[in-house]
Amino acid sequence: MTDTQPPHPPDTRAAPPPSHADAWERAHAAPGSWRARARRRLARRGKLIAGLGIVSTFYVIAVLANFIAPYDASEQSRQQPFAPPTRIRFQDAEGRWHARPFIYRLRLTDPLARTYGEDTSARFPLALFTRGHTYKLFGLFPTDRHLFGVAADATATPNAPPQRVYLLGTDDFGRDRLSRLLMASRFSLAVGPLGTLLAGVLGVVLGCVSGYAGRRVDALLMRAADAMLALPDLVLILAARAAFPLVLPPSSAGLLLVGIFIAIGWAEMARLARGLVLGLREREFVLAAVSLGLTQKRILFRHILPNASRPLVVQLSLMLPAFLLAETALSFLGVGVQEPAASWGNMLVAASNLTLLGQQPLVLLSPAFAIFLFVLGVRLLSDGLRRDGDGRAR
Amino acid sequence: MLKLILSRAVQGVVVLFVVSALTFALLAAAGGDALGELASEQGASETTLREMRRVYGLDEPLASRYFHWLANLARGRMGESFYYHAPVATIIRPRLLRTLALSAVALALAISFSLALGALAARRKGSLWDRASELVILLTASTPRIVLALVALAVVARTSWFPVGGAGAETLTADFSLLRILPPAVVLALPLVALFLAQAREGLSHALAQDFVQVARAKGLPERAVIMRHALRDALNPLITLTGYAAGSVVSGSVIVETVLGWSGLGALSVNAVRHRDVPLLMGVVMVTATAVLVGNLVADILLRLNDPRLRQDHAQKTRRGTNRSLNLPAPGA
Repeated sequence: MTDTQPPHPPDTRAAPPPSHADAWERAHAAPGSWRARARRRLARRGKLIAGLGIVSTFYVIAVLANFIAPYDASEQSRQQPFAPPTRIRFQDAEGRWHARPFIYRLRLTDPLARTYGEDTSARFPLALFTRGHTYKLFGLFPTDRHLFGVAADATATPNAPPQRVYLLGTDDFGRDRLSRLLMASRFSLAVGPLGTLLAGVLGVVLGCVSGYAGRRVDALLMRAADAMLALPDLVLILAARAAFPLVLPPSSAGLLLVGIFIAIGWAEMARLARGLVLGLREREFVLAAVSLGLTQKRILFRHILPNASRPLVVQLSLMLPAFLLAETALSFLGVGVQEPAASWGNMLVAASNLTLLGQQPLVLLSPAFAIFLFVLGVRLLSDGLRRDGDGRAR
Repeated sequence: MLKLILSRAVQGVVVLFVVSALTFALLAAAGGDALGELASEQGASETTLREMRRVYGLDEPLASRYFHWLANLARGRMGESFYYHAPVATIIRPRLLRTLALSAVALALAISFSLALGALAARRKGSLWDRASELVILLTASTPRIVLALVALAVVARTSWFPVGGAGAETLTADFSLLRILPPAVVLALPLVALFLAQAREGLSHALAQDFVQVARAKGLPERAVIMRHALRDALNPLITLTGYAAGSVVSGSVIVETVLGWSGLGALSVNAVRHRDVPLLMGVVMVTATAVLVGNLVADILLRLNDPRLRQDHAQKTRRGTNRSLNLPAPGA
């Protein structure tokens, strides 16, 4: 600055910093006051955190599923089909209050209409960490403790087993619906994400090859991708599924579905990866890497891919709900995971029965709510990721 | 325009050829066929099976079967369904019409709703409408169609507003009424709203910030006319492209929606074909669906050119990506 010199018209080259900042703000920042911007940034973070929270909660529950589930998912009590959710009480029939929650025995009053009443002659107190069927926690430690259940000292009548507690009622074979829902989450949360991840990896590899290799390979791969993309996902998946035996044990059905998802999911990912690679390989930093004499492999993995990672991750999170839903849809249609194994899809079959659905809509739709919540979590996560990316670019 | 249609037709035939070969090979590779099911269900003897395989030509090698199928297709025949015992074409035709009707209603619902809400939201950022539309996008994007379909079924079961049944209806007009088609159409439409609304809002708010909108306002046009006649036209381009690509999502969605809500169309048919391992029927469904999606994309491209005169020039065809506002690329000639 030239303070000592006599005053003269302001120098345009030495524009005061505030107006610089103003111009920069106008050009780059989101519209609105700093308050509005701060709120938006917070909302973005909020989405990311809420999404992460929902998704990780689901996975924790899935890992601990057989601890949280009070009963074995395939254990039947044939005398109590389609039981409504058990009412948990603190006040007994005589009006006395109890500190420990308890339940009454269910009594099938009308086997045809499947209506239940309560037998108030005996109380069955509930407890935490009760003993039940044996299972292996984390697949390693055998134990028979469950998060909650009917207390062990509750055998009121010597020759009848204690009443079971059904938080979500039972299905047509009298199996505890909550336990099935919990165990089903394991399958649903494994197959979709695993398929997405592997399809993503294959897609990125093929996309990079396509973007980096010669024209003929590129054309071949991209025409194959076109053919995949010309068919709607679910129809393609159904067609692929039709090629294999319809009735399969759950583990091989799961592997088969993962395989089908890989075979179908790579196309979209390859398209995106190819586009990104083509765009990035002309950029200065890649040219600099080339001029340094780095190998193509090193340039691709150390320079190009890290810069393409964010859109690729976002694309992954967009693919995940699609495959999760495809798995659910196939199981719902009876060609995915089949009874007696539980999956969110095959649990929903009961909900397509009109009379039943009229009687217990909320309980029957509980797997649907689980699906909705998980997909919402993934969606929030991918929204947060994408907006975060924008924020950094600003 | 003609050049576009011709080149797309050639590309389409190539894609269809690849799709058919892949599907055929896949379906044949795993072995089992409809006759295998017949044997296990009805206990047909080995000699009967061999005889039937010979009659249906299933004992020939894969390549010759495929060329047989292709030759028939060229003559307009898609073979005979094992399960329905009828020509594939006569089974598919009425169901295709029903699915098309359902998709048309769903698309109309989704587009009109998205444009209306998008226009309200785009007028001011951060307004109540804007935030409401953001919520609508999040909710519709994360509600799977299977969930929606079952909730719709619960509504249909609980109330008496909508007629039930007619699952076996085989013609378009058999049980056609607006109330009958409304639940499946709404279920089919809602996930599309997420896509369309986000694009409409983005496109309209981008368009409203342009100079030509300012000029229109300066001319003294009412805000309504500014949006309808000037901003909308500009925002429509990516929306049209998106609609073309949504064709695939609509067909995928119809599989679930039709099965749950009892609308006997192509989606429900494809499930049946899989369940009974009816290879000729499945091939027919796959070919018809792929054709529908390709035609959908082509129609979208034609509409794009009708809406945007800049795209009709020949050189513009080569830089088509330029109109994609979501990518923020400069428009050709702009």
